[in-house]
Amino acid sequence: MVERESAADIEADAARWVVRVDRDGHDPAVHAELTAWLAGDRRRVGAYARAEAGWLHLDRAQVLGAEPVVSTAVRGVPRRGLIAGLSALAAGVAAVLIAPRVLARRYGTALGEIRRVPMADGSLAAINTNSELEVAMRGNLRAVRLERGEAWFAVAKDASRPFVVESGPVRVRAVGTAFSVRKRDGGSDVLVTEGVVEVWTRDGKTPPRRVAAGQQVFADNSEGVRAPPKPDVDLNRQLAWRDGQIVLDGQTLAEAAVEFNRYNDRKIQIADPHLAGERFVGWFRTNDPEGFAQAVATTFNGKVSVRGDAIVLRGA
Amino acid sequence: MEGRARVVAWLGREILPHEAAVRAWLRRSFAAAGDVDDIIQETYCRLAALSNIDHIGEPRGYFFQAARSVALEQIRRARVVRIETVSEIEALDLALEDPSAERIVSGRRELERVRGLIAALPERCRRIFELRKIEGVPQREIARRLGVTEHVVENEAVRGLRAILAAMTEQEAPAGARGSREKADGRTRKRR
Repeated sequence: MVERESAADIEADAARWVVRVDRDGHDPAVHAELTAWLAGDRRRVGAYARAEAGWLHLDRAQVLGAEPVVSTAVRGVPRRGLIAGLSALAAGVAAVLIAPRVLARRYGTALGEIRRVPMADGSLAAINTNSELEVAMRGNLRAVRLERGEAWFAVAKDASRPFVVESGPVRVRAVGTAFSVRKRDGGSDVLVTEGVVEVWTRDGKTPPRRVAAGQQVFADNSEGVRAPPKPDVDLNRQLAWRDGQIVLDGQTLAEAAVEFNRYNDRKIQIADPHLAGERFVGWFRTNDPEGFAQAVATTFNGKVSVRGDAIVLRGA
Repeated sequence: MEGRARVVAWLGREILPHEAAVRAWLRRSFAAAGDVDDIIQETYCRLAALSNIDHIGEPRGYFFQAARSVALEQIRRARVVRIETVSEIEALDLALEDPSAERIVSGRRELERVRGLIAALPERCRRIFELRKIEGVPQREIARRLGVTEHVVENEAVRGLRAILAAMTEQEAPAGARGSREKADGRTRKRR
């Protein structure tokens, strides 16, 4: 068996490569050798970039050659001869001072992962599997862009700053309320657990539709919201993912499989169309497709077989 | 190449200074995920592959997120994902507590620190670093001026760079960088 190279060895080699390139970087043979070394392991690429970054960072010492550099730069009266370096430095300092005010943050979840994220305004987001969103807190608007997947928001009340979720062309606006948005192909599902939200699409085909607690609506990307909100939907079941659960209450096994497959690499396949149409009641963890398959097999007297990443369910 | 130089400069300016914090957080939250050094290297590999960094408003947070996703992948690969494990990772949000106050001073402090790091190197190593990094003298010329071989200059520079990287990221200096030229034996933990 090949021994895996230790991170410490890689780190030492990377430093040596940086110094070699500093000396002989113009030599194509050195570059070729470096490229070959880098190709051996992704960690080498990382260690090399890190060492290179440290090496370059030390060039800042040049700027520090003259004593009170920073205070001079801040007062804006740099000494001659250092001007070029200092203006670069001053730009750096300005960027550091300004950057924290622009508060756009990205959050993502990997397959199977569920995160709860407290936001700067006191709102809370629960982000479902395989999702990505960006939150920008502005003076007069709290803007969330759902790029992929699904999230539920408990919005802190702030009438002067509406909370708007953008999911493709679909918009959902709330002041102080709780709701979820799931971005699908062709449109978005909106479920309201508390208060009222307004849903519309960017091109305004339909007027904003009010959706109240306990209701669900589907906003089509091109048609907008056409059907009235569905009342008395099973919100708790649909939002059970917030606790890492999948709750089935009479869904078909085909629907259930799709649901599990949102969370796992090990995909459930139902090999038998008759079985796929069966309805099922149960409570599972999102990351336990095996448990689900086993329960189905027991209930319907079927069989479970595992092939690679597939969990195959067959009828009797 | 231009783009890569920008990314590397950005790594030095915006990422390296936070490595100590990321390491500490990884050690706390991901004991099960494998070697923290591996995760850090893989994370740098991803960051170095960025073609554009202009959209990254908060490099510190971005660094944490990237390290987190590397660690998560390692856990997933190990096939032991349980929601419980994943939710521990929410500790990330604590580690990301608004860093703005700290960052405002960090630009200035970082510059002073770089100088301190060079000053703290052993004598010959420090002299070589000063010549190379402050006065901009090429390695060959340094060897000539100090009356040593280029090989000595290279070894001292490697040693100094490793010591400085370790100090910047608040780790114990690697064995090879401290004294003798043996290769980091003390820290080499081979996998079985």
